[in-house]
Amino acid sequence: MAFVKLNDLEIEVEDGTNIVEAARQHGIEVPHYCYHPGLSRPANCRMCLVEPYVFFPPAGAIVPDRQLATGCTTTVRTAPPDRKLDGKYDFIVRTDSLRVKKAREDILEFLLVHHPLDCPVCDQAGECDLQDYSYRHGHDKSRYLEVKNVPPKKDLGPDVLLYSTRCVVCTRCIRFAEEVSGTGELGLINRGSHDEIDIPRSHDGTPLQLLDNKLAGNVVDICPVGALISKDFLFKSRPWFLEKANSVCTGCSVGCNITVEYKADGIYRLKPRFHADINQHWMCDDGRLGYHYVNSDDRLQLPLKRVDDALTPTHWADALSIITEMLSEAEADDIVVIGSAQTTNEDNYVLQQFAQNVLRTTQLGLFGHPLGEEHKFPQFTIEADKNPNTAGARTILGSANGNGVLEGDALWEKVSGAKIVYLVNGGPERPLKDAEKAALESVDFLIVQDVLPSEVTQLADVVLPGTTFVEKDGTITNSTGWVQRIRKTIDPPGEARVDWEITQQLARQLGGEMNYHFAGEIAIAIAENVQGYADATHQKIGDAGIKLTVSGQ
Amino acid sequence: MVEERRILYEHLDVPDINTFDVFRQYDGYTRFEKAIAEYQPEDIAKMVMDSGLKGRGGAGFSTGLKWSFVPRDIKPCYLCCNADESEPGTFSNRYVLEKNPHLLIEGILICCYAMGIETTYVYIRGEFTLGKKMLDAAIKEAYDKGYLGKDVRGTGLNIDIYTHPGAGAYICGEETGLIESLEGKRGQPRNKPPFPAVEGVFSKPTVVQNVETLCNLPFIVGNGVEWYTKMGPTYADTRNDPPTPDPNTGTKLYCISGDVNEPGVYELDLGLTCSELIEVAGGLRGEEVKAVIPGGSSAPILTHYELDTRLDFTSLTLAKSMLGSGGIIVMNETRNIVDCLLNIMKFYAHESCGQCTPCRWGTPWVRDIVQRIADGNGRKDTITRPKFGVTESGRWGDTGETEEIYEDLDLLESVANNIANVDTMTWNTICVFGIAVSWPAVSYMRKFRPEFEAAIREGKLVTLPVAEATVPPEENYAYQQRFIPKEFADL
Repeated sequence: MAFVKLNDLEIEVEDGTNIVEAARQHGIEVPHYCYHPGLSRPANCRMCLVEPYVFFPPAGAIVPDRQLATGCTTTVRTAPPDRKLDGKYDFIVRTDSLRVKKAREDILEFLLVHHPLDCPVCDQAGECDLQDYSYRHGHDKSRYLEVKNVPPKKDLGPDVLLYSTRCVVCTRCIRFAEEVSGTGELGLINRGSHDEIDIPRSHDGTPLQLLDNKLAGNVVDICPVGALISKDFLFKSRPWFLEKANSVCTGCSVGCNITVEYKADGIYRLKPRFHADINQHWMCDDGRLGYHYVNSDDRLQLPLKRVDDALTPTHWADALSIITEMLSEAEADDIVVIGSAQTTNEDNYVLQQFAQNVLRTTQLGLFGHPLGEEHKFPQFTIEADKNPNTAGARTILGSANGNGVLEGDALWEKVSGAKIVYLVNGGPERPLKDAEKAALESVDFLIVQDVLPSEVTQLADVVLPGTTFVEKDGTITNSTGWVQRIRKTIDPPGEARVDWEITQQLARQLGGEMNYHFAGEIAIAIAENVQGYADATHQKIGDAGIKLTVSGQ
Repeated sequence: MVEERRILYEHLDVPDINTFDVFRQYDGYTRFEKAIAEYQPEDIAKMVMDSGLKGRGGAGFSTGLKWSFVPRDIKPCYLCCNADESEPGTFSNRYVLEKNPHLLIEGILICCYAMGIETTYVYIRGEFTLGKKMLDAAIKEAYDKGYLGKDVRGTGLNIDIYTHPGAGAYICGEETGLIESLEGKRGQPRNKPPFPAVEGVFSKPTVVQNVETLCNLPFIVGNGVEWYTKMGPTYADTRNDPPTPDPNTGTKLYCISGDVNEPGVYELDLGLTCSELIEVAGGLRGEEVKAVIPGGSSAPILTHYELDTRLDFTSLTLAKSMLGSGGIIVMNETRNIVDCLLNIMKFYAHESCGQCTPCRWGTPWVRDIVQRIADGNGRKDTITRPKFGVTESGRWGDTGETEEIYEDLDLLESVANNIANVDTMTWNTICVFGIAVSWPAVSYMRKFRPEFEAAIREGKLVTLPVAEATVPPEENYAYQQRFIPKEFADL
């Protein structure tokens, strides 16, 4: 640990920390554009200039260094005892001196000379570093009278637009494409004040390579200004109208930490949130743009029952009484309960309790999306398992008996021999293979709990509208054994209900004793009863998640 | 009358000196052979240190000192010869490359031997097509004769030279910009530290030397340190206690152009005055000297008051200018300084690499302001303000008079100083290109302020008589000192 005097604070920081991070840890902001903790440091924006102090022998005193230094590339280290400043400090630095303030003002003035005043129509307005820093550190008026550069607006790829006029050439996007995604589609063209970010193009401007890698959306997040804009979010909302909730992406088993940004009428965007061991600063475009099914107009809003070979809307009491009737008459061996790798641990735990204690069946299956493609990048992996909670569902559903949970062919074999099947999906539509379809068709009475009409609901006798990952609280377990929380943001559409509440209602109608009031209560029950989940209460998980002591297996 | 002292250029005009055989007749490669036969590598490094040779590329940094920073235990170590001579007003390396390339090769061999280097890259300015052709031919000859390649002349040394043409960027003459370009990247300077001596080409220790510096090595080895140190003055560096010697030894290839009767490259001892140099170059063309650029276009200008300044590294630094690459441009009374500045600023605005913010957007801004003044659209305020100037105490202060406000001149000075502050010699940029822009901008404006004021007042370029156009040096000095705290003023 190095002992640093930062402004008037005396702080301890780890060796090798740079000044920007050291200051941030102690609540002092050092403004910066090009520096990003997940990328290399070219120190080209010059915004993070700070004033280090050095010993100046002729004056016999510790004085400000002649040159200001960039905070992002200046790291603190423990000095040998004879090189300590003032006898005790390893490093002395000021981020608030007049020189530093003037330097920031000057740099901001340069950054703004060619920047258009289009904040009223810019998507970034409200979360823009240029706006914030101008307000805090900049001049109140421009001294620039000359003609501004107006480079063209560019379409870089499926989801990314570049408003070149707003660009401050911090090169974060270029470095991202080189270092994190390793695809290197972006580069600088021209020179000097005509610098522009661009993709490779032929002489007539035709793109030779689009910014279409699966991590491309991250360049929009890391762009400190409104230059790189997501087409998905373009002109949808001002950021200050959006509410935010910390959650986890359910696109695959990586479990990227995200912030869900929403209004009452739906989800507007997902943004990655830092987690050192899972996704660092990033998320993939599959996850980022995969939320649209949540806002879909087709969402199941009412329970459906089969009348004359057609699914007809009904009310909850009716749907549940039909199911209760069928289940109470059936033999335990004829019932198969299938949980989902798309829903939470809480949903699956209640389902498992329902099967074990009420239906007394041991035939528990796991329904999940089939393996997709795995994408490996230098600093990021998109996993092949497209279910967010395979590990959690497997453990919790399998905790009923020693046999574990039925999956794959074994499951479908059991299904074809069963009379009643209660199947939960709770995520995007999952296509069925022919054999799977045949197995489900052979079932006498199929109960499906899902969020969207699909091939599965087409076969159902009763359909119960469930909820997606943004409409309920709960926990999910990723492939590396991290248990993390998802949070309710918006209300479910129509009369759709949280999945575990539906199951609990059924259980109570069948005489079971189940009385959970909120997801956290179920998590406590899981912590008590499921091996490895002893610490996995909502309180302890918080925003950071916890790693299972024994991995999900 | 000062005589030329030709050492590097001694055999420049010998016919066919570019061929190995003729070069050999004029002691070619004997200095290298002497170095191998008589000295250990460390001895050569010590000789270079003792000779006081300063890098001729521009910064004037001691070559021996630079070599001492190179870690000896990390291999491979590279030598980069900077032949990207692109400072306006400089054209001395070009003649070496075109006429006497074997001299450069010999210098490279000595450097490689001294530093244990096996690979050398010669980064040649792209426009020097003839120079590259001649050097390539000479390198091929040297390979054929066994002075390059595996086991050089049976000594067990392996030395290879590769030439690499630049693509026409001024900034690739900056050592780290050059290294980036050499590695195949955009020619953008790196952050320092680490310096190239520790981490340069391909992240290995690298010695970057100018052509002229390397060409000095054979003569230092061949004639000895004592002979070399006799040329040029050695000053005392009083910043240290006790004062340390500050040698400005050797000869310098001065490229004299502009309003002189015989412009060209002159090889002279360091430490001659500006007036002497103009005499050597055939005297002034025109009535009187208005201004002299002492070291390429990025150096602060000298006025006719400063013609007695000695043209060596130390004296020019003390005069708040620099010798730089030795490109001396003389201007007579017909030249308009605003126009000159516009010319230079156009060049720098075009050549800024655009990597860091102040330079990327500051240099075109400075150019545009000068352009506006030159076009006659400079702004002047209608009100006046208290006039600051040299007060009775000799320092800068309120004189009790009033003066007119030339907004654009204030703006020009402010913007240029925001890129790099010429008073405190600090820059907010990554490389020294920033100071190369603001030095001329601020020095021209301060030293020839009446001409800038006249352009704004009259709405057109006005060339004033020399005496009228120039600000006296006392006033300038006091102005420069204005912000410097008293306790640092004399350091």
